[in-house]
Amino acid sequence: MRGQYAIVGLGITEQGVGLGYEGRELRARAVDLALANAGLPREAIDGYIRAHVEREDLRYMGLSPNFSVSMMTGGATPVFSIIAAMALIEAGQAELVACVYGEAQSARAVAGKANIGAYGYGYPMLYGLMGAAATHAFHARRHMHLYGTTSEHLGAVAVTQRNYALKRPGTLGYGAPMTLSEHQASPMIADPFRRFDCTRDTDGGIAVLVTKADRARSLASQPVYIMGAGTGHNITNWHKGTVYENHDHVQPAKLRAFEQARMTLTDVDMAQLYDPFTISPLMQLEAFGFVKHGHGGPFYAEGGARPDGPIPTNTGGGQLSAYYSTGFTGVAEAVLQLRGEAGDGQLAKANTALVSGHGMNAGVQNTWAHACMLLGSNP
Amino acid sequence: MNQSPATEQPHPLVEAMRRYGGDPADLPFWQACTEGRFLLHQCATCGRHYWPASRCIEHGNEAMQWVEASGRGTLYTYTVMHRAYTRETRDQVPFVVAVVRLDEGPFYHSNIVECRYDAVSVDMPLEVVMQPHESGLTIPQFRPVNPMKEQT
Repeated sequence: MRGQYAIVGLGITEQGVGLGYEGRELRARAVDLALANAGLPREAIDGYIRAHVEREDLRYMGLSPNFSVSMMTGGATPVFSIIAAMALIEAGQAELVACVYGEAQSARAVAGKANIGAYGYGYPMLYGLMGAAATHAFHARRHMHLYGTTSEHLGAVAVTQRNYALKRPGTLGYGAPMTLSEHQASPMIADPFRRFDCTRDTDGGIAVLVTKADRARSLASQPVYIMGAGTGHNITNWHKGTVYENHDHVQPAKLRAFEQARMTLTDVDMAQLYDPFTISPLMQLEAFGFVKHGHGGPFYAEGGARPDGPIPTNTGGGQLSAYYSTGFTGVAEAVLQLRGEAGDGQLAKANTALVSGHGMNAGVQNTWAHACMLLGSNP
Repeated sequence: MNQSPATEQPHPLVEAMRRYGGDPADLPFWQACTEGRFLLHQCATCGRHYWPASRCIEHGNEAMQWVEASGRGTLYTYTVMHRAYTRETRDQVPFVVAVVRLDEGPFYHSNIVECRYDAVSVDMPLEVVMQPHESGLTIPQFRPVNPMKEQT
């Protein structure tokens, strides 16, 4: 597994609120950019995976792959699509698979449709439970109860990520500093989450191209190697009654990914962890073992996730402060860092990255799916 | 092949459940609520309780049944909704949505009533109280167990 496949093309469109493009156009632009990035012609894509539902992207984009697959497992979809791309190549169905995202999320509100923040959740809707903030708040409140985590600790996550975004043109947080007091003064949405604990919907497209490592080395872009990957489903913790102590089911995913990569935590230079809310990266740093359980809050407050900390985390500002490309945000940031293309936000040491995604909100729980992968600049 | 006669009307409670994201598999639960009874789904083989309705993780569907439950539990975690996402909740914010750990084991999402939103705390003992809901359903809500009442 280790280093046998690589991401060879990255396309990132403009990202932001009210861009005025439809999702399909954002996906098409992301694919064009990824092809240009890899120096590949259109016909090189012989597999296509769209995060979320695909019907007519191929016709519009002028692509002609062997297959086009829709994939939906929430915010775990981006990492999952890269795992699936490797599997499809391994199964002889394609040589170069495009994993594509592009949505005009911020336009949904304008069109009178419910945005992500107002998702409903099965029978708990009878009790007024609406929105992803409320369901993630259950985890945050439980964490506070067990470990004494505070709103200021959550604020430290928000401020840490905003400080990263300040250096990154094109992000929501660019040129918009946030202090801890501003976080504390932001209005309560779903206690314990304040406004600045929450992400907001943005428009944008991202595509990555996946191929075998030997082919990757002959292409125009610097390959980023996939060292290992893993998945875990929170239904296990639901059955055990430990689902609120586990933001997502990291354990099996972590074991598999690190075993495949023959890496340990100390080999990881940065973490790009799925972050719909401030509690999410905090609990994942604990679940992966970078921080002891319950110490995530003080860890952030003491700067542990900053560029000079033990594990720089969400180094482009993440979804909280950069843009919300539903999990592709972290994939793109890892690729940029490992290639040394992160501009003023470039980390001093950037040879390996952990990337995670989670989601699939439904019924009674905020996160079901989890997928993670380890990336490296060397195979 | 459609087994049901064309004249059969959908169950009124099923319609109400569908509007609010409920699962028709839970119909016996909601029917019992209208009679003031709080049920759980239980595997008769191992005794494990479930909510919402499901197959047993060990014994599948061989012995699943709806059984009367205590309607008691403790508050496991909660949120206070400060933002109204729907018209119905506009006049209700701030209100509490809690996850109750029922004495039988399952979690149940509900409102905490007869308690100020800022007096709610994790681990507080709770008991069910049935409330009519505008959907036509009767919904179990939970209130703090009154220690004074317990002693008498």
